[in-house]
Amino acid sequence: MKRVIGVLIIIGLLAVGCVKRAPAPGVTDTEILIGSVQDLSGPLKELGAILPSGSNMYFQYINDQGGVHGRSIKMLVEDHQYNPQKAVAATKKLVEKDQVFCLYQILGTSPCEAIRSILSETGTPLIAPATNSGTMSDLSRVAGDLIFHTDTGYDIQGEILVDYILNQNSDAKIGIVYQDDDYGENVLVGIARAEEEHEITVQKESYQRGAIDFKGQTMNLLKGGCTDVIIAGIVREPVTVMKTAEAMNYKPNFFGTGPTVDARVGKLAGSAGEGFTATYWAHMWNSDAPGPILYRELCEKYDIPEPYIGLYHYYGFATAQLLVEGLERAGRNPTRKSLVRGLETFKNWDVGSFPPITFSRNDHAGVDKVQLVQMQNGEQVVITDWLE
Amino acid sequence: MKGRYEDENLYWIPVLIIFVFLLPFILKGLSFSYKYYLFVLNMAGIYIILNVGLDLLSGFTGLLSLGHAAFLAVGAYSSAIMVDQFGVPFALSLILSPLVAGLFGFVIGFPALRVSGMYLGLTTMGFGFIVRRMIIAFREWTHGSGGLDVSSPVLFGYTIKTDWNNYFLIYTFVVIAVVAGRRIAKSKIGRAFMAIRDSEQAAEAAGINLAKYKMLAFFISGLFAGFAGVLFAHTSSFISTDHFDILLSIYFIIMVLVGGVSSIYGVVLGTLFIVLLDNLFVPLLEDQIHFWFNTQAGDIQSLIFGLIMFLFIIFQPMGLYGMWLKMRIYWKLFPFNPRQRFT
Amino acid sequence: MTDLFSGLTQEIISGIALGSIYALIALGFTMIFKATEVVNFAQGELMMVGAYVNFFFVTTFLSAAGTPTAWTFLVALGGSMIFSVLFGYILDFIINRPLKDEPIFSVIMATLSLAIIIRAVVAIIAGPISLLPFSPFGDSAISFGNIVVSVLDLSIIGSAIGLVIIFYYIFHYTRWGIAMQATSEDPIAAQLMGIPIKRVYSLVWIFSALVATLSGILLAPRIALLDTTMGFLGLKAFPAAVLGGFGSIPGAIVGGVILGVIETVSMGTLSFHFQWIKEINDIIAWIVLIAVLMIKPDGLFGVEKVKKV
Repeated sequence: MKRVIGVLIIIGLLAVGCVKRAPAPGVTDTEILIGSVQDLSGPLKELGAILPSGSNMYFQYINDQGGVHGRSIKMLVEDHQYNPQKAVAATKKLVEKDQVFCLYQILGTSPCEAIRSILSETGTPLIAPATNSGTMSDLSRVAGDLIFHTDTGYDIQGEILVDYILNQNSDAKIGIVYQDDDYGENVLVGIARAEEEHEITVQKESYQRGAIDFKGQTMNLLKGGCTDVIIAGIVREPVTVMKTAEAMNYKPNFFGTGPTVDARVGKLAGSAGEGFTATYWAHMWNSDAPGPILYRELCEKYDIPEPYIGLYHYYGFATAQLLVEGLERAGRNPTRKSLVRGLETFKNWDVGSFPPITFSRNDHAGVDKVQLVQMQNGEQVVITDWLE
Repeated sequence: MKGRYEDENLYWIPVLIIFVFLLPFILKGLSFSYKYYLFVLNMAGIYIILNVGLDLLSGFTGLLSLGHAAFLAVGAYSSAIMVDQFGVPFALSLILSPLVAGLFGFVIGFPALRVSGMYLGLTTMGFGFIVRRMIIAFREWTHGSGGLDVSSPVLFGYTIKTDWNNYFLIYTFVVIAVVAGRRIAKSKIGRAFMAIRDSEQAAEAAGINLAKYKMLAFFISGLFAGFAGVLFAHTSSFISTDHFDILLSIYFIIMVLVGGVSSIYGVVLGTLFIVLLDNLFVPLLEDQIHFWFNTQAGDIQSLIFGLIMFLFIIFQPMGLYGMWLKMRIYWKLFPFNPRQRFT
Repeated sequence: MTDLFSGLTQEIISGIALGSIYALIALGFTMIFKATEVVNFAQGELMMVGAYVNFFFVTTFLSAAGTPTAWTFLVALGGSMIFSVLFGYILDFIINRPLKDEPIFSVIMATLSLAIIIRAVVAIIAGPISLLPFSPFGDSAISFGNIVVSVLDLSIIGSAIGLVIIFYYIFHYTRWGIAMQATSEDPIAAQLMGIPIKRVYSLVWIFSALVATLSGILLAPRIALLDTTMGFLGLKAFPAAVLGGFGSIPGAIVGGVILGVIETVSMGTLSFHFQWIKEINDIIAWIVLIAVLMIKPDGLFGVEKVKKV
């Protein structure tokens, strides 16, 4: 008897399982649920705390004003510890378990690459992946049509730097210290283009992600006679390279891509960091453009603790502005398709946070310019206009 | 059905296997997020296959391996390169890639013959680091640290995508692996392994060729891990060296230990326990804590995991299988249970 | 040629400094193993805790005193030492009492989970933002002709030498030291001779924690950013300890220094002359280890243990 009941229960469950269900993912009458995956406990966990804080600040601001078309925005954050496999697991959880409407600000090139198949399988858009890798706006890749990139690609940054250096000094001998992974690879793509265009060779020194000693690379650059050195690193690397060079009495002009524009690079490097020039793809958070002004107002209003305020926090804020605008344009009854179409209507959209952003069906690279920011007397000063 | 041992009741095995294959349907009926649960189970399944091999090596033969993630990496990358760059069919890769990993097992087996105990643990740890770095070094095929996109498995003309299909693929092999593992464990080879673990001198005196069996242990564990690697690569569709680090190797050893060393069923229990714990229970607990404490920290997950591990080791060093055995014996002896706890 | 020579000498000195740090970590780790047979996988985390605690003390005293003087650093050092004594004692309590007779696997797992817990707790308390460590010597350096050595490196080497001398004295000329040696050789005989081995175990853990804290304080300024992943650097100390022979204290020191020098030289001069070496820089410690173990399976100074049946 028990067995019969058991079998009936299983059949019942099977029957229920075969019924199709299709609720709208992530959108209710009062709320829009978005998902983000950050490094919360791994090598970049600082960003995992600061980025969502910046975004949430702006979401709070919007929610306090009634939200987007009457819906408040809620962001769920999962941890990937900078491990692409964990990123896949976390993204699946967000998309299939928590049913988020779209993905936002996922940190890291490898994690973003790893989840492409989930994006295309479920049709989930990814807005503003938190990485400068040019591959994010590459429409030929899987799910490229679902990703909207807001940062100038590393490759473009590298190219612009080489152009700039040669403009200042046409006899410059250029060297580059790069991280041996997808970040470095993307920078090298741009460097290769520049090499071809100017018919020069750039001396290339690599390092493993997480390395703490750069004597070898610096020595090699010194022996190669490089007058200008680009550092494609994060924070620790440029600091260590510059300090090592100073100890060796080697004084080339130092440049940096992407995350090296972090103010701590200058602070930590001290005298060795004087004159260090980095590329930056948005307005400086402490400048007088309308975006940063609003940003600082909000920081005060929402009592953001001091160590958080700065480059990355501002980035969270600025990309949140973009997302909210996209949600607005998605209409009263947003669907994932309408979000994608809404974003593709961005034409020179400019609220003063980024340079003007344009998306279209064929162009998902929002920003392709940078300005150069230089350390002068311990402060960061913008030294050029927008270069492309 | 009679097993080899008098009191072994094998009726439940076919029922369990049927249950394993019905599980996706049950999950689909129970929860809308069933796809995610299947994904977690798939991960567990792949790790089970690897851990069967690891248990044979470290649990049965006593050769501690702290670098086993390297074998998984070898299997994964070999298969990815073979299938995507050299056009080898997936089914063939299922045979060749484990062999490659087994070969690596031989390579590390050599130094392992001479060293023992903690030295061996550190040698295998070093092996793990070296293999990982070598994978990055051969960037022409492996794309270095950037990671590789891997195609989906193609068997008998069908392309197997989605977690649903992957589940059936993976668990077919899980069942095969567990059966194979048990057969090896209960065979002459398995007995030789255990003899070596318990006392190398006695084993030698009894005529067991130490070198041969130690190498065999490494080879077999490499095979299992390589096999798991193939499945891993093609069902994950993207692999990178970030994943195969020392932490993963340590996780594997934890799974084997928690399940109960020298028990294949224990390995299954232990792997499932840890994977489900890490992916389902800990996040639940974490949400509760966030609800009460409102902290930003992402490390609460690690903290909970570490605490559970630690408490488990202090209170239950015999592992889950030990717990299961105790419960079974308790049940059998009822009501004649002795007063004191038996450890 | 002099260029090569001075470059090489600089690298070797820097390598000795780095190696001294590895040696210190290996020392703490070996001490615990010698006395209690416990392989302490949490040694790197102990070092990290030491570095964090020292940073905390330095910043608190700085905000109280105003300008950094030698005293702020010394007092902070003292504070960290006291903390590590307590910490070592607590750790011994947690590890040794419940796990006295468990097989080695369990103990290893226990220290591993402890490492995870310590890392998580520090991360939660300290918050996610990396800290900027101070070097008490700033960036000052001394030159000997063509060779430039940073004062920090010199102090590292000096402290390591000093510690080794102190430990040697303690182990060979004080009662507790000899008791520790006796306990590690044969705990049962030691007990029979009236040595309170539980107290000896506590002492060993306390020493280990002290050494770990010191290595953390010395290492922090060299790595530009202080965060909780510092413990992974401690992982390099394992090959150092094993290289010299597990359970041998002079072996741990020699092993550490050798590894430090090999690493630095390979990253510098060797990489320049042989480009392919760049690919194995970060794993050269492990390669050396495995090579040595193949020739001498018990490490450089290890004594082949007579295996009892």
